[in-house]
Amino acid sequence: MTREIVIDPITRLEGHGKIDIFLDAKGNVERAFFQVPELRGFEKFAVGRPAEDMPQITSRICGVCPTAHHMAATKALDDLYKVEPPSAAKKIRELVYSAFFVEDHALHFFFLGGPDFVVGPTAPKAQRNILGVLGKVGLEIGREVIGVRKQLRDLISLAGGKVIHPVFGLPGGISKALTKEDQEKFIAGAERAVKFGLFSLEIFRDVVLKNKQYVEMITSEAYTHRTYYMGLVDEQNRVNFYDGQLRVVDPNGKEFLKFRAQEYLAHVAEHVEPWSYIKFCYLKDVGWKGFVDGPESGVYSVAPLARLNAAEGMATPKAHEAYIEFYKTLGGKPVHHTLANHWARLIELLYAAERMHELANDPEITSPNVRTIPAATPKEGIGVVEAPRGTLIHHYQTDEKGLITKANLIVATQNNAARIAMSVDKAARSVIKNGKIDDGVLNLIEIAFRAYDPCHGCATHALPGQMPLIVRVYDSQKNLLRELRRD
Amino acid sequence: MKILILGLGNELLGDDAVGILAARVLKERLKDKADVVESSLSGMALLDLLVGYERAILIDAVKTGRTPPGTIAELSPADLGAVAAPSPHYAGLPELIATAQALNLDFPKEIKIFAIEVADPHTIGRGLSPTVAQALGKLIPQVERQVAQWLK
Repeated sequence: MTREIVIDPITRLEGHGKIDIFLDAKGNVERAFFQVPELRGFEKFAVGRPAEDMPQITSRICGVCPTAHHMAATKALDDLYKVEPPSAAKKIRELVYSAFFVEDHALHFFFLGGPDFVVGPTAPKAQRNILGVLGKVGLEIGREVIGVRKQLRDLISLAGGKVIHPVFGLPGGISKALTKEDQEKFIAGAERAVKFGLFSLEIFRDVVLKNKQYVEMITSEAYTHRTYYMGLVDEQNRVNFYDGQLRVVDPNGKEFLKFRAQEYLAHVAEHVEPWSYIKFCYLKDVGWKGFVDGPESGVYSVAPLARLNAAEGMATPKAHEAYIEFYKTLGGKPVHHTLANHWARLIELLYAAERMHELANDPEITSPNVRTIPAATPKEGIGVVEAPRGTLIHHYQTDEKGLITKANLIVATQNNAARIAMSVDKAARSVIKNGKIDDGVLNLIEIAFRAYDPCHGCATHALPGQMPLIVRVYDSQKNLLRELRRD
Repeated sequence: MKILILGLGNELLGDDAVGILAARVLKERLKDKADVVESSLSGMALLDLLVGYERAILIDAVKTGRTPPGTIAELSPADLGAVAAPSPHYAGLPELIATAQALNLDFPKEIKIFAIEVADPHTIGRGLSPTVAQALGKLIPQVERQVAQWLK
């Protein structure tokens, strides 16, 4: 008999999520899956609409990372109209994007992922929440988390219109320049963000790195996969969220690929599984070998740890110091420990804050020249950014009037889907023994999942069809034992 | 008294738009009585929006499968633990309220939730299903009555 355990809903995850675990007769894990609900009809909805609407439409797909979709869509429009935005426009885009990164990473670390570490992985469920975090780090820091996020969100609104659905990206630039007064506000916000980034890393050192048990957990085999890693890098192979080339390193940390977003179809393919709506991305150049790691398997990972692994450093001084410390502490490059994502996220937070500071102080940031008017006939455009949760690609095709004929999005959680599935399965196998299951054990499985900060709001939108969510249970011969429908 | 009406949901996603559409109607009708805000945010991110108000109403889609689509439930945050598979938009509302209390933030003393049972909150561009569209008509006066009661 196969017994089924369902952890549902995944506490604190943004958007829906579901993990199914299948046990054998002895109560050991046969296989565990993560599943997502399907968001239907995106492509159909997009077809026939003006491409210029895409930054607004795609940023409305999901309330979790609207700024990332807005930016990827705007960059796809630059490419669609073959237009180069003025330097000031690019800098303002990156400035706003950096502010978004700081507030989003802060939300994840303190409110969503933080409880696992700051409070402790095996702490009672009632304490593994933001209140537990506040109990550990103090109320003053709690107020600062809320205060700094509010200030940054206000800045994004100031430059981008609405924080939830930014309206400032246009093909060839942005809709409005920054005033001297805006610049002052950005400088003040950036200074606070840098301080916030530094003390967040201090908290991590004090609470996590000084705790032997946590470090052992981070580096344990249960939370380790030796996969490929992908991330955007600048011309010196340093992490960049807004622009650059996609660099892939192999499980030994050696550069495997480096390509422009426009070439993504030559390198990334999608694998379909009967049990999931999500398409699992893998590297074409290696091939799909199943849910396994190692250099022979095309599974790759995105998001903070992957970005650090795929790069050779950070472009700002304090974040680069933290980068060096990270690899020194965890035994060199690349780091394969999934839970190191939390630390990597804080290093990125500091980088985003420092980058924000650099850009806010750039004299060009108040230049009125923020738009190049597009003149080319549109046909096809591809844009890429690093979303907080990983590489995000928007790809549009249009007719000569600029009306969408085809739209495809590759979102972060899709890029990470295969490795997340592996992480859930491996963690389940390592902690469930002989049918012993309690709240703490289940949390140890969710921890693997949460490290990626997966958001399913937009991960499955691009698929056609009207299938309801179905859970299927198979025996070891792949015979269907049960079918659970959930709609 | 500072009152916030918060319409939650995603205007592109079929029935998930109901909270947003309600907010648009109420914005006009309650313009001198309350601030009406639309949001697609969820969980702890809602904290920013609620700070600074004395009373708040949240309007959102839910899919419990326990009541027919179009059913309007009036809930308090304390009831949320009892709601099966609530909308992710307020997964964590009890946590959020406790956080605001712990940090001594200026936070609504009373929060009311109007939850509309929906049929399909997953299809982009589908619009509201007929039963949910009807419920929207009933919901508006319910919210207005609550605001009037607070202002009495």
